[in-house]
Amino acid sequence: MKKDFAKLNYYEMLDVSPDAAFFEIRHAYNAALQVYAHDSIVSYSLFSLEERKKILDLLEKAYLTLINAQERKKYDNELAQAGVALHGGKKAPAQVPKSIYDIKRWTGPAVSPKKTNKIILRESVEESEKIRGILSKPEISGSDLKEIRNELGVPLEKITQETRVLLDYLVCIEENKINRLPAEAFLKGFVKAYLKSLCLEPADEICARYVRWLESAGKTGQAEEK
Amino acid sequence: MTQIWPIGGGKGGSGKSFLTSSLGRLLAAFDKKTLLVDLDLGSANLHTMLDVPYPEKCFSDYVQKRVSRLEDIVLETPVPNLYIISGARDSLDIANLPYEQKVRTLKAIAKLDYDWIFLDLGAGTSFNILDFFLISQNSIFITTPEPTSIENVYRLVRAVYFRRIRQYFNVTEFKALEEKVVAQYGEGSFNKPDSIMRVIKTSHPKKGTLLENDFNSFKFKLVLNQLRKQNNIALGPQICKIMEKHLGFHVEFAGNVAFDDRVHDAICQRVSFLERYPYTRTAYDLRELSKNIAQSGNQQMLLRYS
Repeated sequence: MKKDFAKLNYYEMLDVSPDAAFFEIRHAYNAALQVYAHDSIVSYSLFSLEERKKILDLLEKAYLTLINAQERKKYDNELAQAGVALHGGKKAPAQVPKSIYDIKRWTGPAVSPKKTNKIILRESVEESEKIRGILSKPEISGSDLKEIRNELGVPLEKITQETRVLLDYLVCIEENKINRLPAEAFLKGFVKAYLKSLCLEPADEICARYVRWLESAGKTGQAEEK
Repeated sequence: MTQIWPIGGGKGGSGKSFLTSSLGRLLAAFDKKTLLVDLDLGSANLHTMLDVPYPEKCFSDYVQKRVSRLEDIVLETPVPNLYIISGARDSLDIANLPYEQKVRTLKAIAKLDYDWIFLDLGAGTSFNILDFFLISQNSIFITTPEPTSIENVYRLVRAVYFRRIRQYFNVTEFKALEEKVVAQYGEGSFNKPDSIMRVIKTSHPKKGTLLENDFNSFKFKLVLNQLRKQNNIALGPQICKIMEKHLGFHVEFAGNVAFDDRVHDAICQRVSFLERYPYTRTAYDLRELSKNIAQSGNQQMLLRYS
């Protein structure tokens, strides 16, 4: 099943590759100490007191050998004589540092500036016929807003994060839950923030149309309740 | 193909039932017929988590043969696609399930026609729990970042392996094996599955390879539950690594689940945590975990009972 810990070679004990740099070995040793220390909860109850001491001694020996260039070379030779194949993986090609001040570095074709999310959103608003159709209505309801958002493929969570408006309010706005909406002064601000985060222009005007819809819907809604 | 996932963790209170009910809800939402079986015999409360407060039928009805087929004690829950075998009204001596009843139950569970079956197992490492673990190659072990809980999960994993070894031998053979192991590796080594395995490989090579195949086919997963902010997030992978290195057991780390006080609130109010608090870290972790589980499907192990 497993190899005895004492029979592993030093590299296996510390879980580093045979060509690891010194700082990697130091990191690996620190990580191993965290796992095998007396007060570590990872290895709690897995070893007896002597077993743990043995492991810690072995780790220390492994670390002190590998961290010392001369000792390490000696140890590598010993392993090679014992027939253990080190350097299993290929070495990555050495990277030559590049000067960051070299202005002639870029020789390829010119690169156009990257499109930001906002620009992409604005373009898709202009391109989509469905959105233009909805925006040309005299009154815009919450479900219209939802349709626009779905057309743009923006998740509601993202708008919450961007606008800092509570998710519950946004859901109420979208689901036309009129009696659960906040006071009108807040609501206007929320709707405007919503519109702006979707790049729907002009936000003030669209918001006014939403309020108009709300007033007429509120009247009919109340009439129905009565 | 039915997938059976036993869920256990050695220590009580580590969130086994909560995880079972959450995974059940999430996988049922994928349009899969999901069954949760409350096998925490003697301290069952999965029905409370799923808001089925007064189940009419329970596991005891099957054990005491008032109902002949296991299918007939399956209950519907308020969640679509989610079914439960409850232990709410089990008889008071259910915890000591006799061997033949256990085998009968195991065989019946393996034949049930559901997409997913989760077994909510109790704490401890009694035979019943270990045998329910070995019904499938898949298992989920759950632990919390506390020494007590981690200690018990190591013990449970070792006990599961030990039980599997035990199933291949009869009493006298096993006794002889024990003597051999103790003679070779000294006092206390019989509690270590790896030293037993080494002896088996030399003395019973055939059984040794069979066992090795079994062990290689195990897909055990570890979930670290109730991870608080101050805890080390690398703890779970470290536990898996140390088990691989020192015990030779491959246990895959499936993910952390964050601690949240509101889990307690949701259980007290008997509502689904995932529905009440869907935008919490904990709910997110559970969803990721369910995806991980859903992707790692596996065929189940054939039962070996003589």
